[in-house]
Amino acid sequence: MMNSLFVQTIIAYLLIFAVPMVLPFVFLKVVGLSGLRTLVTYEAKDTPLHKLDPRLKVLYPVGMGVLSILFTWKFMLIVFGLTILPWLWLKPSRAKIKVLMVMIIGPAIAGFWGQGLYYLPPPPIHFVYKFPWTMAWLGSPGITTYGMIFGLQQTSRVLVTVSTSMLILISTDVGDFTWAFERFKAPPHVGFALTAALRFLPEMIARTNLVLRAVELRGYDMSRPRWHQFGQWPDYARRLSRCVVLVTVPLLIGTLRGTATMAMVADARGFGASKKRGSLHVHKTTAVDIWGYAILGVLVVGALVLNHLGIGARYYG
Amino acid sequence: MTSAAPAGQLHAEDVSFAYVGAVRAALRHVNLAVAPGEVILITGASGCGKSTLALALCGLIPSRVHGELRGRVMFGSAPLSGMKPHEASQIVGMVFQNPNLQLINQTVQSEVAFGPENLALPQPEIAARVDWCLDVTGMAGMRTAAVVTLSGGQKQRTAIAATLAMRPRVLVLDEPLSDLDPVGAQEVLATLQRLARDGGTSVIIIEHRVDEVAPWADRVVLMDDGRVVLDQPPRAAWAEPGPWRATGVGIPDVVQLAHAVPEAFGSRLPLSLTEAADAVRDTWFEAALAAAAAERRTAAGDSAGHLNGTPVGAAPGPEAVPPVLSWDGVSVEFDGKRAVDDVTLAVHEGEWVALIGANGSGKSTLTGLTVGLGKPSAGVVRFRGQPVRPGKVFDHAAQVALLLQAADDMLFETTVRKELEFGFRFRARPENPVLDVPEAVEFFGFAGREEDSPWELSQGGRQRLALAALLVGAPGVLVLDEPTTGQDAQHMRAFLRLLDRVRARIGITIVTVTHDIRGLASRAARVVLLGEGQVRADGPTRQVFAKTGDLIRWGVLAPPLARLQSELLGPAAGDVLLEVDELASAVLAHRPDPARATPPGAGALRP
Repeated sequence: MMNSLFVQTIIAYLLIFAVPMVLPFVFLKVVGLSGLRTLVTYEAKDTPLHKLDPRLKVLYPVGMGVLSILFTWKFMLIVFGLTILPWLWLKPSRAKIKVLMVMIIGPAIAGFWGQGLYYLPPPPIHFVYKFPWTMAWLGSPGITTYGMIFGLQQTSRVLVTVSTSMLILISTDVGDFTWAFERFKAPPHVGFALTAALRFLPEMIARTNLVLRAVELRGYDMSRPRWHQFGQWPDYARRLSRCVVLVTVPLLIGTLRGTATMAMVADARGFGASKKRGSLHVHKTTAVDIWGYAILGVLVVGALVLNHLGIGARYYG
Repeated sequence: MTSAAPAGQLHAEDVSFAYVGAVRAALRHVNLAVAPGEVILITGASGCGKSTLALALCGLIPSRVHGELRGRVMFGSAPLSGMKPHEASQIVGMVFQNPNLQLINQTVQSEVAFGPENLALPQPEIAARVDWCLDVTGMAGMRTAAVVTLSGGQKQRTAIAATLAMRPRVLVLDEPLSDLDPVGAQEVLATLQRLARDGGTSVIIIEHRVDEVAPWADRVVLMDDGRVVLDQPPRAAWAEPGPWRATGVGIPDVVQLAHAVPEAFGSRLPLSLTEAADAVRDTWFEAALAAAAAERRTAAGDSAGHLNGTPVGAAPGPEAVPPVLSWDGVSVEFDGKRAVDDVTLAVHEGEWVALIGANGSGKSTLTGLTVGLGKPSAGVVRFRGQPVRPGKVFDHAAQVALLLQAADDMLFETTVRKELEFGFRFRARPENPVLDVPEAVEFFGFAGREEDSPWELSQGGRQRLALAALLVGAPGVLVLDEPTTGQDAQHMRAFLRLLDRVRARIGITIVTVTHDIRGLASRAARVVLLGEGQVRADGPTRQVFAKTGDLIRWGVLAPPLARLQSELLGPAAGDVLLEVDELASAVLAHRPDPARATPPGAGALRP
């Protein structure tokens, strides 16, 4: 029966569309808009990580991101493992862990699956499942073993930067970021833009959530069909897209009102009054900072040396 | 034009202002002088120009808000109107209405430091300012707290601290109490008075909630149609109610009572509960109040078997019939914390129930469950005996209409008519509508404006439209979440009249979540007090409001008249009277022979 073209086509159909359809559903179910709201929210705690030199915190994702590009897959795993260790030190809240896991595992699965479908290694190709001609004409001959491994490697590289950036975002007050940027001679507007974005992104998500609730309260049907009610899914998609248009007006009006007030507040608090800015935070370098700088330095220099020696280095061309 | 104002004095000289494209001026020939250390209450109906005056006083007009400005605002000899915002803000600081929009940073101390950092002050100076501002606003213990975790009152105090960090000589606050529960409001007002008394900072409070601000103010300014129509010390300002009634602005309850029973209070108009109680303690007024309370208790004993005036016994009473809404052992948890804790509550057909409590007491969470917003971690919510299924908002919104506080967020269409018909595009029209769309147009006052955009309506009009759009769906229950927040007395009265008319017309059950103890909660027949997610009191409004101690314990201040009766009579106050007219009538009806009862000097006019 498995050899029948019809069954093969159905299996191929499921393999292609299962992940793209399931991932957004899992995201909405597990994280949702309210969960996303907590993603970039600073968590004030008394951990050594919170007290680290903000400049080191800015350099850390950059340094680890560079390492993730330089190395081959096996070495990359070591780099990825190293980025996990500070999380144990930070001990984020359960709500944050839930969101982080989805944000990390979701793209990993997507990358793994996508590359498995569309990355074509040189022959001989080993297929996990070869698609029949009825599906192959879409552009993918099937799911390849090497494609999946390659997808996992590429995703891990991205996740190194994602993981390190998230770690820093939730353990650093934006004021510290601004201070670090200023020490790096970046314009104050960069710090302000980051400050405003991180402060108001959760607010905007909360507001979007509120307006989406309001549209339902007014009698707009946002109920999702069951997975097997195939006939109702196109109507659901149509209702979702129409809803985007509906909620845009109140969202836009609310946002414009808010930004006008925010601009006046920034003016009134003297933003831009002086080319230089002062800082409440004056970071005194501690032993932990020195260790941090040393470890990051050793990692980056070590990686460059190893690369130069051809150990764990990626080859191009 | 006059010369420079005295040193340290803020002075608006013949200020007029029209917004770009506006036909009418928002401010017209306003003159105002503010002395150091003064606390001034500016009030008036919505749209009278209060907020525009605030923007002019702090120099944001014309530098950031454009239009045609005439006259000038001076601080001593310095003209504020021509200054850059960051220069003006070191003289006059402005705290805007919504603290959420003015807290730009992530933690309390970063927020307070933001201004001094922008001024490139040395670190020790920034640190000293931050410490002082956090101390004076009572936020020192929360300096590292994330802004998103703060309550409404804490956010407001953080916004005040951040403005103070610019070291302004004058502080202007635009409706600082609008999102605060009564206890949070008192905290903010106490902070402001401390600043004025101890620091010499002039404080200008723009507010509708005059009852709460009146005892703290040195002067009261009443505005109408862009003009200052009254500018006097509070006692003088309220000595003559005419201007207040003409502008539709509320008068504090104790002031109204003093006007209704002048012989009890004398010429010294009470501004606070303490002043009112002191004025009538041990006088015929107190005796009459006690006699009236005793009579009410006797009458209540005679009419045992009545609930809220409805006989129970011969006909099945509310308890005998199933409730329209019920929460059975309901708990809700957020991040491991219980927002609602084992609540059991029933609302019967035709009741009007007010849910009151401090910010974060679980009121909105509890009402949200009635339409499937949120999921109980324990217990069941039922509508007419059927469980409400979490997440099925579309299904339950037809049964329970929930009007959000931000009614603007509930408007999605391009015309009034389309807005009213919005819900019928997705579900069938009710078979027996009590109010169909053409009737709703008439009933809610939209006749002739059916094709107008909702955004062309006033704020009150938009709220009416959102309410009308919910009611045409023929729901069984109307849930109102803080519907009168930020509204002036006139709009609030209009809204309450509208609710009365709605009830008279369709007899709908109403559940309101509110901080408006004086207006909205007092109108309900039954009040449920929530504290830390649990029901702390539940009963007829007059009985619950008599429990002033319990209310304060859970972050709620009873209406001023209820507190006055409790203050004078203690537990003997029984069912307190909440309207000035009924209290005055009750007292006057039990007044002993004036010649015999009033001791010489008592109740006479006092200087």
